[in-house]
Amino acid sequence: MNSVDDLIALIQDELGLPIGTEDATASFDDVPGWDSVHLLWLLTALERETGRSLPLAALLEAPSLQAVYDLASAPV
Amino acid sequence: MGTTTDGLRTLHRAGRLAAEYPAVPRLLDGAGDDELALAGNLLARLDPDEVLRLHPGTTAVTIAVTGHGTLASLRPALTAELARHGLLLRPHFTDFDSYVFELSDPGSGLYAAAPQLVLCVLDPAVVLDELPLPWGPDDVEAVLAAKTALLGRLAARFAATAPGATLVLNTLPLLHRHTAQLVDLRARARLGAIWREANARLLRIGEEHPAIVVLDLEPLANEGVPVQDPRLDAYAKAHLSPALLTAYARQAGHLARALTGRTRKVLAVDLDNTLWGGILGDDGPEGIELAGTHTGEAFRTFQRAIRQLTSQGVLLAAVSKNDPEPVAQVLAEHPDSVLRTEDFVRVIANWRPKDENLTSLADSLNLGIDSVVFADDSPFERGAVRAALPAVAVVDLDGEPALHLPRLLRDGWFDVREATAEDRARPARYREELARGDFLQSFSSLDDYLAELDVRVSLTRARPQDVPRISQLTLRTNQFNLTTERLQPAEVAARAEHPDHLVLAVRSADRFGENGLVGAVLLRREEDGARLDVENFLLSCRVFSRGVEHAALAEILRHAAATGVREVRGRYRPSARNGTVRDLFPRYGFTAVAEQADGASAEFRHDLAEPLAPPAWVTLDSELAGPAPETGAGTGPVSVAAPGSGTEPRGDRA
Repeated sequence: MNSVDDLIALIQDELGLPIGTEDATASFDDVPGWDSVHLLWLLTALERETGRSLPLAALLEAPSLQAVYDLASAPV
Repeated sequence: MGTTTDGLRTLHRAGRLAAEYPAVPRLLDGAGDDELALAGNLLARLDPDEVLRLHPGTTAVTIAVTGHGTLASLRPALTAELARHGLLLRPHFTDFDSYVFELSDPGSGLYAAAPQLVLCVLDPAVVLDELPLPWGPDDVEAVLAAKTALLGRLAARFAATAPGATLVLNTLPLLHRHTAQLVDLRARARLGAIWREANARLLRIGEEHPAIVVLDLEPLANEGVPVQDPRLDAYAKAHLSPALLTAYARQAGHLARALTGRTRKVLAVDLDNTLWGGILGDDGPEGIELAGTHTGEAFRTFQRAIRQLTSQGVLLAAVSKNDPEPVAQVLAEHPDSVLRTEDFVRVIANWRPKDENLTSLADSLNLGIDSVVFADDSPFERGAVRAALPAVAVVDLDGEPALHLPRLLRDGWFDVREATAEDRARPARYREELARGDFLQSFSSLDDYLAELDVRVSLTRARPQDVPRISQLTLRTNQFNLTTERLQPAEVAARAEHPDHLVLAVRSADRFGENGLVGAVLLRREEDGARLDVENFLLSCRVFSRGVEHAALAEILRHAAATGVREVRGRYRPSARNGTVRDLFPRYGFTAVAEQADGASAEFRHDLAEPLAPPAWVTLDSELAGPAPETGAGTGPVSVAAPGSGTEPRGDRA
């Protein structure tokens, strides 16, 4: 996962959500089709993709996909 | 397994998932956990009403989901599990932690949704949230007593309020992080006992109310499904892990299948390497593995479990590519076989394609083909059945017999709400009915079948690259082996190169594909070319009973007559397994040279006065066609030129 675009692509491919790169910085409230279930799924998927344990409490409070990506790609 | 994923994504991107919903079960057949997760995510985005509008015949199941913790991941999981079985989920999720209200108030949204199935998903936090601090076993016992009593009342209310619907409760998993908070080992043990007594009370609610099913989560957890992710438990109130909810959804899918009358009734099993280890036709009744070895014991365990299923009404049939006699002998007499002839409603041992046998089996039982579960260790047979009969549930077995049983049981194909006396009597009833009619009568004629099979046979002189395979045929073939003379590769090569010998490679194919190098004929010219001896003839059991041997012999006789041979001789040397070819030569116009004592070698001759007509349904491609080269005695050297096809399928020990 090299950029937030990869995260967007993952969501498009695995969740089938009709989102685009323009949704990266949008608040989750404004992302089409998004709900909190998807965030739980995304956390599990990110740990699988990155192969490491992520700070779930912080991720659950992330306001946008960009914020999720930043947390997931931060140096350990 | 990429095809499932690709197929789903392609349909999703094209916006055609709803339009192609009837194709989804086939797409998900044999799908792994990741593929089902993807399918659940994509399919959960469909509007069930839209699917129903496009496909009014789809069976929709309204499932209400309520409970204590965060259960949203059940939605895609249930969607996928129902779709696998050709069902459509109409979900109704209640508010978080609202199960007491939703189940107790007859005017609740849950009852208003008129669900056929209600999943009330319980987790350990139901109890732990209400414990005082500090707590001991007695506190847990008090909370559990109150909770199980409450659930009993909710069950009674449900049964009275939603007649015909089914409520699913579940046992509460107990984790080490709970028990280990008691450092007193005696108290810890007491907690374990109290907890399980409460789970036992929960399980008994199902005995009291026919409308209630209680899922026991402990066996799922015991097989390695993690009960909780502590972080999701803490941060998201997801008290049960996504993996456990997925396993739960699988069970719920089985229940939905049973509720909609889709329980399977017939278990059709392969025999060789499915019910026993080894190839019966090759290893013989005393050579197959059913006890005494590691794998033998595994097969025996599998047989015991199948016997267990049949005792509860599952109709067991064998569908095997084998000769019928040795199969009947094993099932009647083999000391280590748990399954006996009387455990089967039908034993089908022949050489026809298995999909045809399965269709005939279902017809003769007067059941739909969608009643059948088929278990086989051969990917070829499974693929052929999947392609021809998509409604058959196919269980993927492989070379590891210890995994046969979990694979067979994984999908609860035969689960029913309650097995009746009628169920238990069913196998005997079907056996009686079947005994009246001859199974073979349900086929059109054998000739019609063979004509449809489009058998093609090719005869070529053995090339160097054919030598290892031909040697293997002499070493491993026992049934269609006229002399059981074993030849190492060097011996085959020596004959192939000898001017007086002719080694023929037999290949065959049919409408299902190439069979590969399936046989060999070892010929030798004698008496300056006036006599041709068939020293041996070998054929793989995979291609018996379709005219391959007939076509090859006819061509050899034609070639002999065309090259000045006046007599063809053949030898048969009996072995324990080659009785099937005892009459090969007489069947095709050879006469016995001399009377032979029982059990001794026999010799036959054909005077070539009458040509042998080849079987009409076989297309022959022969390298022997055309005039043979005249080299003195009429023996042409075996061609070793043209490199032919490369690999041949192996493992057809017959």
